[in-house]
Amino acid sequence: MRRALSWAGAAFVVACLSGSFVLDADSALDYGTNAVDLVAYVPGLAATTLVGLMLSLRQPHQAVGWLLLLNGDLLALGAVSDSYAGWSLVRGDTDGAAEVTILWFTHGWPVIFAGIVAVAFVFPDGRLLPGRLWRWAAGFGVVAFVSTIIGGMLGHDTLDAPFSSVPPAAVLSPVVAGTLQTVGLLGMLATLITGVAALTIRFRRSSGVERLQLKWVALAGGLIPLAIVLGTVDGLTRDSGSGLLTAASSGLALAALPVAIGIAVLRYRLYDVDRVISGTVLYVVLTALLGAAFTVIVLAGGVTLGGGSPVPTAAATAAVLLAFRPLRSRLQGRVDRYLDRPRFVARRGVDEFLTELRAGRVEPESVGAAMVAAVGDPTLQLYFWFPDQQVHSDADGRAAELPSSGLRIPVVRGHEELATVVHTAGHPELARVLNDVIVRCGLAIEVARLRVEVRRRLAEVEDSRARLVAAAEQERHRLERDLHDGSQQRLVSIGLDLRILQRELPAGPLRDGLDQAVDGLAEAIRELRDLARGLRPDTLGDGLAPALAQLASRTAIRTEVDATGERFAVDIEAAAYFVASEALANAVKHSGAHRVAVAAEGRDGTLRLVVTDDGRGGAAAGRGLTGLADRVAAVGGRLHVASADGRGTTVEAVFPCG
Amino acid sequence: MRVALAEDQALLRAGLERLFDGAGYDVVAAVADGDALCAAVAASPPELVVVDIRMPPTFTDEGLQAARWIRAHHPEVAVLMLSQHVVTTGALDLVTQRGFGYLLKDRVLDVDEFLAAASRVAAGGSALDPEVVARLVNARDPHASRLHALTARERDVLSCMAEGLTNAGIAARLVLTVRTVESHTRSVFMKLGLHGDDDGHRRVLAVLSFLGDPAP
Repeated sequence: MRRALSWAGAAFVVACLSGSFVLDADSALDYGTNAVDLVAYVPGLAATTLVGLMLSLRQPHQAVGWLLLLNGDLLALGAVSDSYAGWSLVRGDTDGAAEVTILWFTHGWPVIFAGIVAVAFVFPDGRLLPGRLWRWAAGFGVVAFVSTIIGGMLGHDTLDAPFSSVPPAAVLSPVVAGTLQTVGLLGMLATLITGVAALTIRFRRSSGVERLQLKWVALAGGLIPLAIVLGTVDGLTRDSGSGLLTAASSGLALAALPVAIGIAVLRYRLYDVDRVISGTVLYVVLTALLGAAFTVIVLAGGVTLGGGSPVPTAAATAAVLLAFRPLRSRLQGRVDRYLDRPRFVARRGVDEFLTELRAGRVEPESVGAAMVAAVGDPTLQLYFWFPDQQVHSDADGRAAELPSSGLRIPVVRGHEELATVVHTAGHPELARVLNDVIVRCGLAIEVARLRVEVRRRLAEVEDSRARLVAAAEQERHRLERDLHDGSQQRLVSIGLDLRILQRELPAGPLRDGLDQAVDGLAEAIRELRDLARGLRPDTLGDGLAPALAQLASRTAIRTEVDATGERFAVDIEAAAYFVASEALANAVKHSGAHRVAVAAEGRDGTLRLVVTDDGRGGAAAGRGLTGLADRVAAVGGRLHVASADGRGTTVEAVFPCG
Repeated sequence: MRVALAEDQALLRAGLERLFDGAGYDVVAAVADGDALCAAVAASPPELVVVDIRMPPTFTDEGLQAARWIRAHHPEVAVLMLSQHVVTTGALDLVTQRGFGYLLKDRVLDVDEFLAAASRVAAGGSALDPEVVARLVNARDPHASRLHALTARERDVLSCMAEGLTNAGIAARLVLTVRTVESHTRSVFMKLGLHGDDDGHRRVLAVLSFLGDPAP
C-alpha cells in the first residue's frame, strides 16, 4: 500500500511535467524564460522526487521521505498549473477550472517552500522535537501557509500580468482576506525561522551520527547563499538578471538540499561530510581567488600591452599554475581549522608533539599519550610489536596482551608492522582522524619502538645476568654443603678410625707414622673448611657486620671495620662481602698498605660499602675488578674504584636495597 | 659414665662409639637423627649427649633442636654439640650455659683433647671451639662494646677463657708465664666490669654470658 503510494507520488510528478510540456508546446507561449526555468526547476524537482521516492520506499516509517515526495508533487503541480494557466490564456478560455488554476498559480506559491520547511521541523529522525510547544509551532505553520493561500485566492487583489484580465474571486470580504494574508505571511516567516531554529537546536544537542546528518544539510543549505551571490554577480554583468548562470546555480543549490537530506537519512557515506564540506569550501575559495587573480592580470596586461596581446593571458595562466599548490596547502590549513575541527585539533596536537620531540623535551615513548591527547580518545592504546619474539609491549617495554575488545589498527611503515593501535570505537569521525594521526606519528612510533626494543633487550640481559649470578651462588652453596657433609665428613671419620687404630698399636715407628698421617689429614680437613668458607662465608648467616669482622680478623694487614648491624637481602650481603673480601685480598697482595678500613653503612635505601687502604694505589682495571663490577651490577649496584698513584686505593660499592 | 651419640653418618658414628667405648664410657645409644636421640634420652637419661648439628631430615639444625629439647626437659644432661662448620645463629643462648660444649668435628682427631673437653662438659663445665669463640667476639658490635677497650693480647686471653681453658692452659697455648696470664685476666675482668674467681667454670660462665648478651 505504502509502496503504491510512493510510486503514485512519483508518477504524479512525471504526469504533471509531461502535461506541462504538452500544454506549453500546444500554447506555443514563450515568456522568454522557459529554458532558464527548466534549468532552475528541473534538477531540484527531480532530486526531491527521486530522493523522496527512494526514502519513502526504503524507510516508509520516516516522515522525511514522504515530505520530500510531497514537495516534488507540489512543485510539479506548480509547473503544470503554470502551463495550464498559459494555455488557457492563449485559448481565451479563462473560466471555471482555468480560473481556479490561474488563482492557484498566482496565490499558491507558498507550497513551493512548504515541503522543505516541514522537513526542517522533523529532520533527521522524522519526528518533531519533543514538547507540546513544537507541536503547536508545527500546527501554527500549517495554518499560516493555508491562510496565506486562501486569503490570496479568495480575496480582491487584482492578478498580475499576463492574467490581469481574470477577475479576482472576491469571495471573502477585503478585510478578512487581507487579515488572513497578512497574518499568514507573518506566520510563514515565523515558521521558517522556527524551522531553522529547530535545526540549530538539534545541531547543538547532537553528537555522533545525528551531528553528521545535520552537517550534510548545513553543507547543502550553505550552497543557497552561494547561489544568491552568483545570481547577483550574473545580474550585474548581464544587466538582464535571471540569466542562465543564475538558473544553473540556483538549480544545483535546490537539487543539493534533497540529495544531502537523502545521504543523511540513508547514512550513505555519512562520515565523509567533513571532508566534503572542507573540500567544497576549499575549492570554492581557491577558484574565486585564482579566478580573480587571473582576471586582474589579464585586464591589467590588456591595458598596458593592448587588447590583442597573448602575453597577459600566458602570464596569468603561469601565475595561477604557480600559485595553485602553495595556496591550496595554506587554504587547506585554514579551512581545516574552521570546518574540519577534529582533524585540525589532531594535527595541531601531533605537530606540537613532534616539535617537542625534535627539541628533545619529550621522550619518543610518549607518542602513545600524544596520540590519545591529539585524537581525544582516552580508550586509545598503542602497543609496540616485536615480530621476532611474537610479542606486543607497552611503552615501558612490558609484554602486554592486546585487549580482546575494541578496534585494532596496525601501524605499518615500509613493509614492517611496527605497532597496533587499539581503541574502542566511540566517535564515528575518529577512524578518519586516527588514520591521519597514525601516518603523521609513524616516524615517532618507529623511533619509540626501537628504544623500547633496546630497553627490553637490556632488561633481558640484566635478568639473565642476575640469573647467572644467582645460579652461581646456588652452585657455590651446594658445593659448600657437599664439601661439609660429604668429603669433609668422610675424612673426619677415616681420621677417627686411624686414630683408634693408632691407639691400639704399640709405640714405635709405625704408630708415629700413623700419628703424623692423621695430623696431615686434620690439616687437610681444616684447609677444606677454609676453602668451603671462601666459597660462601657461613658467618654471613649472622649478618654483614660479624662476617666483615671475621674477614678482617683473618686479614694479614691491620684492618678496621665499621659496619652497620642492619640486615639486607641475602644476595646483597653476599655481594658486599665478596667485594670486601676481594678488595682486602688485593690490598694484601698488591698495595703494600699498612692499614685498611672497611666501612658498611645503610643510608637512604642503599647499602654503601667502602674499602680504603693507604697503599701505593695505581690499581688497574683488570679482570679482577671487572669481575667485581659484574658481581655488583648483577644485584643492581655499582662499583667505583679510585686508585691514583701514591694515594691509596678506595673501592666503593653502592647497592640498592628495598 | 653413660653417653648417648647422635650422628647420621654411620662410619663416624661407629668411630665415635669405639672412641668413647675405648675411653671407658658406657655408650647407651648411638642413633642417626634428633628424634631418636630425644626418645633415647627420655627413655633413660645419660650423663652426656654428643650430637651432630646437621642431621636428617632437613640437614639444617636438627641437632640444635634436639639439644634445646634436652636442655628443656632434662637439664641435668650435658650436651656436646659437633658441627662440620660453625653456625652460631640460634645457638648463642645455649653456648653460655653450664654443661654445654660446641666443637668442630675435626677436633675428634686430637683424641686426648677431645675426650678432655667431653669430660669437662659432662662435669658441668664448658668447651667451646676457638672458632665459636671468635664468632661470639665478632658478633658483638665493636663500637658499642667494651671489647674495644681490650688490647689484642687481652682479647686472646679472653678467647682462651671462653673456650674453657684454665690459666695454665692459656699460658701453654699463648706461650706466656702463668703470672702474665693472671695479670691479663684481671685486666680483662676489670675492663669488662665482670666479677669472677681466677679459676674455675664460674669465670668461664661470666665471660660467656658477657659475650652471649646482646650488645648494650
